Amino acid sequence: MRPLDWVVLGGTLTAIVLYGLYKGRGSDTMNKYLLAGRTMPWYAMALSIMATQASAITFISTTGQAYVDGMRFVQFYFGMPIAMVILSATAVPLFHRANVYTAYEFLEKRFDTKTRALASIVFLIQRGLAVGLSLYAPAIVLAVIFGWPDRITTLVMGALITIYTVTGGIKAVTWTDVQQMIIILCGLIVAFFMIVHMLPRGISFTDALYLAGATGKLNAVDLKFDLDNRYNLWSGLIGGCFLALSYFGCDQSQVQRYLTGKSIAQSKLSLLFTATAKIPMQFLILFVGAMVFVFFLFERPPLLFQSVAMHDLQSPGLREQFAPIGRRFEQAFEQRKQAALGMAEARRSRDAGKRATSLAQYLVAQEQINDLRASGAKLYEQASGEKGFNDTNYIFLSFVTRYLPAGVVGLLIAVIFAAAMSSSSGEVNSLATVTVIDVYRRHVRPDATDRHYLWVSRLATAFWASYAVFFAQYAKKLGSLIEAVNLLGSLFYGSLLGVFVLAFWFRRVTGTGAFIGMLVGEAAIFAAFSFTSISFLWYNVIGCVVVIATGVAVSWMRPGPRTA
Amino acid sequence: MPTDRAQLPDEPPPFLRTWPRVYAAVLIYLASLIALFYVFTRMFS
Repeated sequence: MRPLDWVVLGGTLTAIVLYGLYKGRGSDTMNKYLLAGRTMPWYAMALSIMATQASAITFISTTGQAYVDGMRFVQFYFGMPIAMVILSATAVPLFHRANVYTAYEFLEKRFDTKTRALASIVFLIQRGLAVGLSLYAPAIVLAVIFGWPDRITTLVMGALITIYTVTGGIKAVTWTDVQQMIIILCGLIVAFFMIVHMLPRGISFTDALYLAGATGKLNAVDLKFDLDNRYNLWSGLIGGCFLALSYFGCDQSQVQRYLTGKSIAQSKLSLLFTATAKIPMQFLILFVGAMVFVFFLFERPPLLFQSVAMHDLQSPGLREQFAPIGRRFEQAFEQRKQAALGMAEARRSRDAGKRATSLAQYLVAQEQINDLRASGAKLYEQASGEKGFNDTNYIFLSFVTRYLPAGVVGLLIAVIFAAAMSSSSGEVNSLATVTVIDVYRRHVRPDATDRHYLWVSRLATAFWASYAVFFAQYAKKLGSLIEAVNLLGSLFYGSLLGVFVLAFWFRRVTGTGAFIGMLVGEAAIFAAFSFTSISFLWYNVIGCVVVIATGVAVSWMRPGPRTA
Repeated sequence: MPTDRAQLPDEPPPFLRTWPRVYAAVLIYLASLIALFYVFTRMFS
């Protein structure tokens, strides 16, 4: 990081906090603090929804994923517009008219206290486990790239979000999300044009597309149906739709965004705008990753992008074993570079024979490079004892720090901070809301004054922000448990979705039916996770279907009084 | 803010006049995007 980068980063973070403090003024009642007095316009809610969803690790990791695996991850978002249409037509009017602060408050109006309590607890566990990781994950990547102590990074990010989230509530969170989303988009566009500009002379943008496409990096759509394949059109449309329904319809960190709308129409527009903007945005992020791949066709990349791993491989103990892999990697890189140049030249001269020869050489060299990267990773795993080594998260930042000019590096690091802060602030705010509304006001102090609840809301926000920082400080000690924690989060959505589907569309289902359905649905998801190899996107479908079937069956066997 | 939110009206959208038309437009947009991405995949693969 050069002085100009520090100026850009410091200036951006200061601007975010000051803007949050400015926009959060006047949050002096519980309604204004938790729901912005229901005054938000659609565009602010839409950008806030997108910013809360886009965490720093998504931004860092997605570009790397395109480098390694191509653009097929974009299919993960294909179900989102369908989900947004369903939610706009159903959940949004119901939530608004029920006059609720949280999605789980609605469950008590529809079913009973125990169903609301169970859903709130599921949310608090799931989101509580995730909130610290939103801060920790980018901090650990920045620690490897820059050597910054991850504890200091998480502390700085946590302190910054605490300042504006505690004082300004959801108004501050939403408007800073808007600002952060604009920073993220600007950073992405700048990165894209810089990469294209840095391609070698003689390699046009169209050449770059063909070179990326030849190795499958532009594989945006895969029509083949396969339950074990995480990303194809069908898992994206069906599994992605269920996941988006769960996330945007049952997760308070998202529901709270559109509950702040001026009207039902404004809330609907915010979801529909998100539905249309999200896929092109993810496409752009992945496309940047594919272009980084093309850039490294002509500029030799490290064998592994994680500098600590490369340092270890070149240490005296491993040097001898690593040397032949390194030499073969250099040769393979040169062969791939020459073949890529040959392909570009043949494409322009329309020489089909030369093109076919170059393509064959190019693919062979690429295969060699993939094998050598795998050999390097295996050697590092054997030496370090680390299992499942993956350097995807380091690819984009390695490129940024080594090749981009002063100022742009600062802007892109600011993007990572902005993405981490926007996700964390939304999560902290929603956790505080559920704690106050579904736990404190419902079970501890049901008849206190508005001023009392306002201060408890501020205290709860400060508590969850501190908890996030504290959890992030100790996340390193969790080691591989972090993956388990991430997975654990994805295990809860299906049953939450099922109970909301029962609430919206199954008028004869009773509270007891919904409650038992949720428990059985959760058991089914854990069984699918433990005993099958089904991709996690399908857990939401399984959980939702089991909750509905059980809820309907129990209500049929033990009918109760019909509810509205 | 209306005092009785249970009666909150569902206002028409600012364009295309009815919500079902807006929903249809979003779904047509999705289908077009998938078709475009498919052509993109095939063209450069």
